[in-house]
Amino acid sequence: MLKEKLEKFFKIDRRCIFLVLAVVLFAPIMKPLGLPNKTIARDTRNAYEFMDKLPAGSFVLFSLDYDPSTRPELHPQAIAMIRHAFKKNLRVGVVTFIAGSTGLIEQIFQTVPGEYNKVNGADYVIFPYMANPVAVMTQMASDLYGIYDKDQDGKDAKTLPVMQGIKNYKNMSLIICITGTAMLDYWVAYVGDKFTVPVAGGVTAISQPGYGPYLQTGQLKGLIGGMKGAAEYESLIQAPGKGTSGIDSLNLGHVLVLLLILTANIILLIIKYL
Amino acid sequence: MKLIKKQIPLAIVLVFGVLTLVSYYVPHKLSVDYIETMNKWENIVAAFAFLLGLVSLFFSHYYKIKRKADGWGYSLFVYVGFLAMVIPAFIWHGKQTSELGMTSLGWAFRYIYNALSASMFAVLAFYIVSTAYRSFRIKSAQAFVLFVAAFILILGKVPLGQIIWDSVLGWTGQGVDQVIEWIMGVPAVAGKRGIMIGIAIGAIVTSFKIIFGIEKQYMGKD
Amino acid sequence: MIKNKLLFTLVLSLLTAAGVLSAPAAGADKGNKSPAQPPITGLTAADMPYDVGGTVLLAWDALASVPPGTVYQVFVSSLETGGWIKAGDYPADGVKPSSEIELPFWAWRGSKTRSALRVEVGELFAYKVTTERKSALCLALEKSSLLRAILSRLQGQGLFGGAGKPEPYTRVIEYKDGIPLNFKVVAELAGKQATAVQVKGSTASNWFRLDRLNNLLLLIVIVIVFFWAVSHAKRKGLFIRRIAGLDAIDEAIGRATEMGKPIYYVPGIGGMSGISTIASSFILGEVSQKVAQYDSQIKVPHYDPIVMTVCKEVVKQAFLEAGRPDSYRDDINFFVSQDQFSYAASVDGMISREKPAAVFFMGYFMAESLLLAEVGATSGAIQIAGTDVESQLPFFFTACDYTLIGEELYAAGAYLSKEPMLLSALKVQDFGKLLVMVSVFFGIILVAVGAKLHWDPFIEVILNLFKAY
Repeated sequence: MLKEKLEKFFKIDRRCIFLVLAVVLFAPIMKPLGLPNKTIARDTRNAYEFMDKLPAGSFVLFSLDYDPSTRPELHPQAIAMIRHAFKKNLRVGVVTFIAGSTGLIEQIFQTVPGEYNKVNGADYVIFPYMANPVAVMTQMASDLYGIYDKDQDGKDAKTLPVMQGIKNYKNMSLIICITGTAMLDYWVAYVGDKFTVPVAGGVTAISQPGYGPYLQTGQLKGLIGGMKGAAEYESLIQAPGKGTSGIDSLNLGHVLVLLLILTANIILLIIKYL
Repeated sequence: MKLIKKQIPLAIVLVFGVLTLVSYYVPHKLSVDYIETMNKWENIVAAFAFLLGLVSLFFSHYYKIKRKADGWGYSLFVYVGFLAMVIPAFIWHGKQTSELGMTSLGWAFRYIYNALSASMFAVLAFYIVSTAYRSFRIKSAQAFVLFVAAFILILGKVPLGQIIWDSVLGWTGQGVDQVIEWIMGVPAVAGKRGIMIGIAIGAIVTSFKIIFGIEKQYMGKD
Repeated sequence: MIKNKLLFTLVLSLLTAAGVLSAPAAGADKGNKSPAQPPITGLTAADMPYDVGGTVLLAWDALASVPPGTVYQVFVSSLETGGWIKAGDYPADGVKPSSEIELPFWAWRGSKTRSALRVEVGELFAYKVTTERKSALCLALEKSSLLRAILSRLQGQGLFGGAGKPEPYTRVIEYKDGIPLNFKVVAELAGKQATAVQVKGSTASNWFRLDRLNNLLLLIVIVIVFFWAVSHAKRKGLFIRRIAGLDAIDEAIGRATEMGKPIYYVPGIGGMSGISTIASSFILGEVSQKVAQYDSQIKVPHYDPIVMTVCKEVVKQAFLEAGRPDSYRDDINFFVSQDQFSYAASVDGMISREKPAAVFFMGYFMAESLLLAEVGATSGAIQIAGTDVESQLPFFFTACDYTLIGEELYAAGAYLSKEPMLLSALKVQDFGKLLVMVSVFFGIILVAVGAKLHWDPFIEVILNLFKAY
């Protein structure tokens, strides 16, 4: 009798689970609980420290390759890292290999540079979208102007003050790739390893575990994972943003998953042994 | 016919495959220039492929509408959506904002494309939760190990979980971070490396098969 | 005797050269009376080995102690005197001994007593030239007086204003390796400069990456094994372990035929250069041949137009081979979208509307893997997946009936076609794995033993052997 009732739980309409999850995620967004975000992951800290130690004026290349689908996780990461770069007076270059991210890049640079009085062309440069990432990455190893002769607004890239003394990877201090695709793997394999330039990244929480081997060998200098990573980075640069505000939902969502898995297994045990 | 459909393409694959391989060992300027030229060619071909895709997309939906196939109404949206994004992009030269504020392209990008893409990715969260509920069952000893690892990982990933860990297992002196770092750094990486090495070797051999024309099914069989 | 004389002249000429040369450098020397530190000795300029060119490696005798804050200024000139171009300022703490240059032991002998500095000169000697470029019309006008007359008449009427006139054209004259260059290094501390030292050298574009010799040898070994395996292919049958996912293909197609429902084959979001996508096209060939034999229906939605073109050819050929060219339709393969989630949404929609009997996911997949597989699972289709993206494998395992892991996907073409040449190439894969296992096993032991006994050079040799340069 009990068994039959319990077995019904396994055949529960998945839409019920969807509904519970929606409520759990939505409620804290509407009414924040203010749960603490106390620990900072080692890889996030490493990324932060690597950038923090760069001397002012160093050139950092951002490869922002995420489209609106992964925006909630990756946009806060990108904003936090760019804020950090501007705060440290680093020169920022932006490239992208995903057409959908051009709009998001535009959104970042409409607001963030103003906070630090940074000027387009003098302190940062945005290059246009390019297809075929591997080919572009290889080309940039010898002469980046071979591909990016103009910036996004059609200005001659070589003459921009921000590009002074920058020709290829040898003149860059760090490459940061923020992506929900395999682009970070390409940066590591085709650029980081081949041309010995430091690479750090930001990825979605779902693909974060896959980068363990690269982090161990130092092929990645640091890694920010998901919205939690963004929140951690925001707390490191002391500029809370969208990442920090999403932490409550993230907390409750995770706990719900745990409860569901536990319940499912307890029910399984009861069915099996009672 | 066989010459054009088989032998010439195979010869191209062989020559350029070997040259690209050799260029890894030859640092000379000639080899760098060769790679650059190849990259440019690849970019040009990729650009034309966009056009190919577009033509195929339009034709397949055109026939659906013409045949009044099931759900042909959706096919109309392909054209509507295409025009709704492309026309504003032409008018505003791809700019999302102008002196007058947000352009219609910017509006479409932000409030249509953004919203639709984000919803699609967000659905993933729901699927993961329901899959976890349905399939994360401890049916064997191995599954139990997997369960324990996953449990700790999920718990340690969020601050609330860390608080729970500290209050329940704080007496062990092990922070959940350290346990996670060990799980991710030792067993997980060991497994992943094994798969990676296997895949890398498989990729090398497959590349040889293609370069030397042993595997040529991708050109259509003989 | 002669030797001594030669040596004497050499030293004398060097001294005079240094004296003469220090003059222009000393032009800048405010505090030459009390040099802040000893001048550089034993300066050499050699080509940086194994590179594309344009870089020179300066080396000098390392000083026992360099005062903090010292900066080395490097100047280059193609003339022996004058015309100096500053190549850069290099803080002394960033200048490392030549033994620290990251090259393996068989390609580089560094020394701890020599400081080394890589200096790029290519960029310094590249310059722009603006000339006039003559168009084809321009050249034709020079030759034909008739053309000139016609054009001048037209221009008189205000047409073709600038046509036929040469246009300014800027081109970059690139630096060429091999030009003899002179290098000058000055150590500076707090505005005080030590005596400058000058040396001759040149750069070269090299032909072989000797540092990648380990890689090349491994490649040669694998190529030899590969050809050996392939050429001995037909002699006898080869055992190949059962791959459940591939055996289930027949079952899946049979089921679809019985139910009269279509089969979906999803080749993923990879480009044609991806190995998994290529492997996927092999499997598509086999699957569609069976589909043609059973007279079932197959649909292949695409993410990449090039992959679509290739797959069209593969499917067409498969139908032809099955003797059913009449059943082939051009819209079996169709393009959906090159946006990851639009693609996933569209394929999900098709699967949930049409409720196919079987769905194949073969190729490169990212975050859309679970979105696709979960919808397929709820629609009740039999699902077979295969990918080499390890991070997506767990999702396929939970939502699909059968999953091929990485190499199994690569092996699928051989497994299904049973072609002896392809089967024997699998042997090479096993050989590669054996090689890796043996190297990892002995590598770990040797390095551990070496570390225990403090045989540093020995560890260095082993690590060098297995490193990618």
